[in-house]
Amino acid sequence: MRKPYSKNGWKTLVFSLILLMTLGFQPVYAQTVVSGKVVSAEDGEPLPGVNVILKNNTSDSPVGTVTDFDGNYQITVPGPESILVFSSVGSVMQEVSVGNKSVIDITLETDVQALSEVIVIGYGSQEKKDVTGAIGSVDAKDFEGQPIIRMDQILQGRAAGVNVTNSSGAPGGNVSIRIRGANSINGNNDPLYVIDGFVGGDFNDINPSDIENIQVLKDASSTAIYGSRGSNGVVLITTKSGKVGEPKFSFTSRFYSSSVLNTWDLMDAGTFAEVANQRANDIGTAPIFTSQEIADFKANGGTDWQDEIFRKGTGQEYQLDYSGGTEAVKYFISGNYLDQDGIVINSSFKRYSLRTNVAAKLTEKLDARLKLNFIRRETNNVNGNGNIGSATGGVTGWSPTVPAYDANGFPTVRDNVSSIKGNPIEGALNDNINENNNFMANGGLVYEFIDGLTLDVGFGASYINLQNKTFSQGSISNNPTASRQSTEFLFLQNTNTLNYRKVFADVHDFTATAVLESQLKKTDQFGANASGLQFPDLRYNNITLAGGVGTNSYFEKQTIQSLIGRVNYQYNSKYLFTASVRRDGSSKFRGDNQYSTFPSVAVGWRLSEESFMPGNIFDDLKIRGSWGQTGSQGIGVYGTVTSFLTGDFDAATSFNNGTLTPGIKIGNPGNPNLKWETTTQTNIGVDMLILNGRLGITADYFKKSTTDLLLAQPLPQYTGGGTISTNVGETENSGFEFSITSTVIDNLNFSWSTSLNASFLKNKVVSLAENEMIFVDGDVGAGITNLPEGVLMPGQPLTSYWGLKYLGTWKTDQAAEAALYGNVPGDSRYEDVNGDNVIGGDDYQIIGTGIPEMLFGWNNTLKYSNLTMNIFVQAMGGYDKWNFTYGQAISAIADAREVTHADILNRWTPENQTDIPAFSSTDVVELQSSRFVEDGSFIRLKNVSLNYDFPINQEKGVKLGLMLAATNLLTITDYQGLDPEAYSNNGSADNRGADGGSYPNARTYTLGINLNF
Amino acid sequence: MKNIIIITILVFSVSCSGFLEEDLSTIITSESGALKNESGLTAALAGTYKPLTATWQSGLGNASTQAILMGADDLTTHKASNKADFREFDQFKVSQQNGRLPFVWSGAYKSIQGSNNIIANYEGATGDPAVINQIAGEAFFLRAYNYFWIVKLWGKAPLVLDTQVFDPAILEVSSSEPQAIYDQILSDLDAAIGLLSDSKPAPGRANKGSALAVKAQVYLQMAGWPLKQADKYAMAASTAKELIDNEATYGFGLMDDFADLWPSPTINNDGNKEEVFALNFFAGQWWNGNAVYGLPARPGEDNGWDDYFSELTFFNNFPDQRRKDFTFQTESGATPWQNFATARPYFQKLQGDRADWLNALSLPLIRMAEVYFIFAEAQIVSTGNNADPDALEALNKIVRRAYGLPLDSPDAGVDYTSATQQDVIQEKAWEFAGEYCRWFDLTRLEMVESVTATKDPSDLQPLGTIEYYLPLPASEVLTNPGLGED
Repeated sequence: MRKPYSKNGWKTLVFSLILLMTLGFQPVYAQTVVSGKVVSAEDGEPLPGVNVILKNNTSDSPVGTVTDFDGNYQITVPGPESILVFSSVGSVMQEVSVGNKSVIDITLETDVQALSEVIVIGYGSQEKKDVTGAIGSVDAKDFEGQPIIRMDQILQGRAAGVNVTNSSGAPGGNVSIRIRGANSINGNNDPLYVIDGFVGGDFNDINPSDIENIQVLKDASSTAIYGSRGSNGVVLITTKSGKVGEPKFSFTSRFYSSSVLNTWDLMDAGTFAEVANQRANDIGTAPIFTSQEIADFKANGGTDWQDEIFRKGTGQEYQLDYSGGTEAVKYFISGNYLDQDGIVINSSFKRYSLRTNVAAKLTEKLDARLKLNFIRRETNNVNGNGNIGSATGGVTGWSPTVPAYDANGFPTVRDNVSSIKGNPIEGALNDNINENNNFMANGGLVYEFIDGLTLDVGFGASYINLQNKTFSQGSISNNPTASRQSTEFLFLQNTNTLNYRKVFADVHDFTATAVLESQLKKTDQFGANASGLQFPDLRYNNITLAGGVGTNSYFEKQTIQSLIGRVNYQYNSKYLFTASVRRDGSSKFRGDNQYSTFPSVAVGWRLSEESFMPGNIFDDLKIRGSWGQTGSQGIGVYGTVTSFLTGDFDAATSFNNGTLTPGIKIGNPGNPNLKWETTTQTNIGVDMLILNGRLGITADYFKKSTTDLLLAQPLPQYTGGGTISTNVGETENSGFEFSITSTVIDNLNFSWSTSLNASFLKNKVVSLAENEMIFVDGDVGAGITNLPEGVLMPGQPLTSYWGLKYLGTWKTDQAAEAALYGNVPGDSRYEDVNGDNVIGGDDYQIIGTGIPEMLFGWNNTLKYSNLTMNIFVQAMGGYDKWNFTYGQAISAIADAREVTHADILNRWTPENQTDIPAFSSTDVVELQSSRFVEDGSFIRLKNVSLNYDFPINQEKGVKLGLMLAATNLLTITDYQGLDPEAYSNNGSADNRGADGGSYPNARTYTLGINLNF
Repeated sequence: MKNIIIITILVFSVSCSGFLEEDLSTIITSESGALKNESGLTAALAGTYKPLTATWQSGLGNASTQAILMGADDLTTHKASNKADFREFDQFKVSQQNGRLPFVWSGAYKSIQGSNNIIANYEGATGDPAVINQIAGEAFFLRAYNYFWIVKLWGKAPLVLDTQVFDPAILEVSSSEPQAIYDQILSDLDAAIGLLSDSKPAPGRANKGSALAVKAQVYLQMAGWPLKQADKYAMAASTAKELIDNEATYGFGLMDDFADLWPSPTINNDGNKEEVFALNFFAGQWWNGNAVYGLPARPGEDNGWDDYFSELTFFNNFPDQRRKDFTFQTESGATPWQNFATARPYFQKLQGDRADWLNALSLPLIRMAEVYFIFAEAQIVSTGNNADPDALEALNKIVRRAYGLPLDSPDAGVDYTSATQQDVIQEKAWEFAGEYCRWFDLTRLEMVESVTATKDPSDLQPLGTIEYYLPLPASEVLTNPGLGED
């Protein structure tokens, strides 16, 4: 059944890529009038590959050449007034007037920009060469000209160790972002987002065009500075700011067209009806269709549910920004409007954003900054990842013999043949609208007391107003329902940073940072829901006229107060040392557990600065090591007390049919001894830069151990059931990360730069206290599965699937053995683990894992003259998907009473003994079996884009750009579902990979126009 | 300098004391004394009934209630469709992981936790004493009623009376013997009878009569297997008699027509006087509907779920009478039941007023007719007189109704002039076909084997040894392995 990806295949891929990237340095020759030799100022060695370009060129095509292996060049120039420009990656550019000279020798100064690049770290910044932690950087230039509509697309495949999975392929839909795996079972595993210093933002609430750069803090020495919220890694986002100079104006518009990647191979109505009758015959019940009906279906066809649900999704986006400044005031202003329809009917994403970033120098010693951002997001039907009852799941459940619409033009209410769920069209036409309005203000003052000593006082406020509106037609139960939910979040933050940097005796570089930070978060919520709507056409807009109305309100407040200290010391740019400590106090805990301390330490050794290293090989060679502790951010409020459940779902009952009496019910018992989960991480890494900075390699090994893991320990029902949160478990993540960046070719007319990253992750549960296992019910297969779908077990990954092991069908020569199980040849055969000749719950075992072990990203930018091409390949491997949607389509069980998938035509017969079971009254099709667990590995051509710049007026910098791009153009996978990336699990536990009608990712074509002046 | 001052003020402005104190003012916690007054107790009572009606989570509100009683001869399920969890009960091979197994167990124990909380708090609570006594009485009633389900289905089980406060020691508790559980049930019922008022505050709640009915059921059950305390027959008879004699006081009585007991497309008959104890449902939301009735009880031919329907022998032996017409669905349109996919008749009386799984309909768990049967049986056995006139009259009222005759007019054509315990049990089986009596009558009189032997060959046959008790749900032994040990 399964064809697991060959691990050797992956290796071959990686090695050939590396080979490609290191072999590409080729010289190009030209004819000559002027010639010369270019050498390096550092060691006098010849410099190959230096661009020699005629600056004041008047002809249509560019004039230029490149130095050969010996640093020699020859070029024809128009005359003595010509100016030549010598440039090369890793060197300072030089301009020379030709004059009467026929030989011009050049000495180029080394400038490895990559080393002097300043990196934002938590509560400060550092030059890249001095960084001792493991930090992944993505810069705006890495994704410019690519169709990015949300921040997660920037991270996807572009930073080693970061797994970005679009669990819902809908525009603006759910995405899972994990840095170095998942630590927590019950807590949140999302990274902490810090937007311009504001801790705890939402990456959805930022227009990607406003992003200057993103730093992903991975190891504990980088994240410990965020203490109790650092365990899952930290993503630092810095937005653009204006630069001194003429005002710059940029306008971009993009048009999108999306379609489904793949469709199910479902039977047409006639074939379906025949198969249904064959099944009825085989299990001894009456035929469902008459031969006349079958003939009619063959002649007239039936319903193609996929055609009804999927569509071509179109979209448009407009971006306008304006920036500039003087020494005194710098500004960046941008506006963005995005309107994108999903590939499933009635799913859409709209975004309006407005940003103003202003920085001002008030006095010689006082700087001020203010960043204002308003963003409104409107989504409909993008967050439901679906289950087999959803619109996307329903297409494989509903019979093609049922008309899509009834005589009155309404979606047919019931499928009297196959699915017992509602019509997928009706499901898709229901609404689940979220309108998220976020206003964020983030400002501060920096005062320099003396040279090197600054105080930064920052304030941040974020106000979010979230309106949720739902409507469900509910025809199948004749019960239209609607709800309105209104939530306000208020975050306030104050950060006071005292920073002191001093260099003693030219070699002792010392920086100390002290921070006092407080944060407050309030959540205020109320809502109403109604059932039995008397006027369903009014949807959620008038829910008073209803059979029953329920209301809720809620408030919570949480606070954190923190003290932070950090010391950076480096000796002669050779030996680097960093130590930090953060003490967090949290309102969530009691007594001694209220405050926790999170320390870290890191060292670095820049071998390339040592005299014993040969001078001309390494531009940089650094070995790094770090250790530190962080906490988990994902514990809810009120965990230390036993609170009563008061919601209608939990506690309201009916004392008089059709009415509801609210009540209170004892909830999960509180645990006054709760504390943070603690993650201890060790990291060893190496950074290398060679070939004049043209090839950079970073490699890291990490090991993270999360202890005091918060487990919701299940309590027996006789105690009142539920769970009690206890700090008892332990998980471990370890892995390797590599990233290679290279400027492979950099010629006059053509350049190719490429970057490759690869991550390998091992994730496992180490201990669950005294529990041998804890079940996690994803409920993706609700209605077709009975037992919990996930399990946690020591030694196994966090997401493990629980089910029977499928051994294929019983074959004819196994009839006697099959009979022991009450089966006949052609029936499903499962592994009888305990050998009791009965297949039951005690034969369940782990049959797969959803956590990817391997991630790859390969990004290429090729430039030819004014044409730029980006090719971006992304791959994920070493995980399983649980294909419930296929299971529903190929099985006649519970909620899906007939088979719809064409694979059934190849079912077992005595003559053709396949592993697709025959129809038989003794066959038990168990959805929770390895039969439906498939390898999810895939390689995807994530982006191919072409950008062409028309230089309209070079002197004034007026430029018109055209862009054509394809996203998800090609996917190579063995997975049988619509998309190996999307999955349906939704929940607190890091359960993933089960696909029951999840919203698939789309293939999107983008056409863009960009105007700059 | 001015700048420094401003900055310093800003820095310290937020560092006030009490910043980290958790704000518990907006939630109800175990520490807030919520149950110390009438309104708190009222809310807690709703939360105590809730676990019995949380349709898809716990309790009695879905067809799992029929599933766990499927060992009886009246109920069976689909042979081919994936009703494996139902079939396990019908075929006496129930696994601990069976998805239908935990509903009654977890509903009962969550409700018991709610009762424990009310019982621990009602004394000294402020408010109207009449209201508080009624609530406390219902808490005692529910605790008894829930333990009664537990002891009948599982025998030995944890007897926990203080689960309102979590104590880790409870994870090592062992199961109590049935006798101890019955003792607690009787003591709780007496407390309930002392506290409850005569009339139900709402159709879905209990009154004193409800408690008397359960007490009669309990005595009858104790008289048979496994305790076999024959003296309990007389106590069952006298308790049932007390209730019958005062039925009007409690608003109870027999309906004149069997047809009027059940929902029909035109009238739902909810809250009729025969409902001694009935759960009520909201059904405005998917999580609270009567899903025993409606689609689960309907055939696939009518878009039903085929969850449960009648065994063949049971239907064939059912005497032809008006009651049979209203008990069974024997055709769908022009298709007779013999041509249904399952080739069995369905229980029309449990099909609700429309084809739905989300029904705002009563689920009567105890009907007054059962009290009449308890009296008849217990009186005949305890007096040894098969012609005890009071017993015969109680029995004959229901028999006359079954034939569409006036209840109180003796009719020689149908009246029993002498009845054995077996006669009463059989008559009760017809009356309560598909309801919640048959399995318990069969087990207490140890008749399961003999009726199973009469199964039609085409009905689902036992796969394992016939067991009178169910296995503990997997969740219970996973966390407390000692629970299942003897």
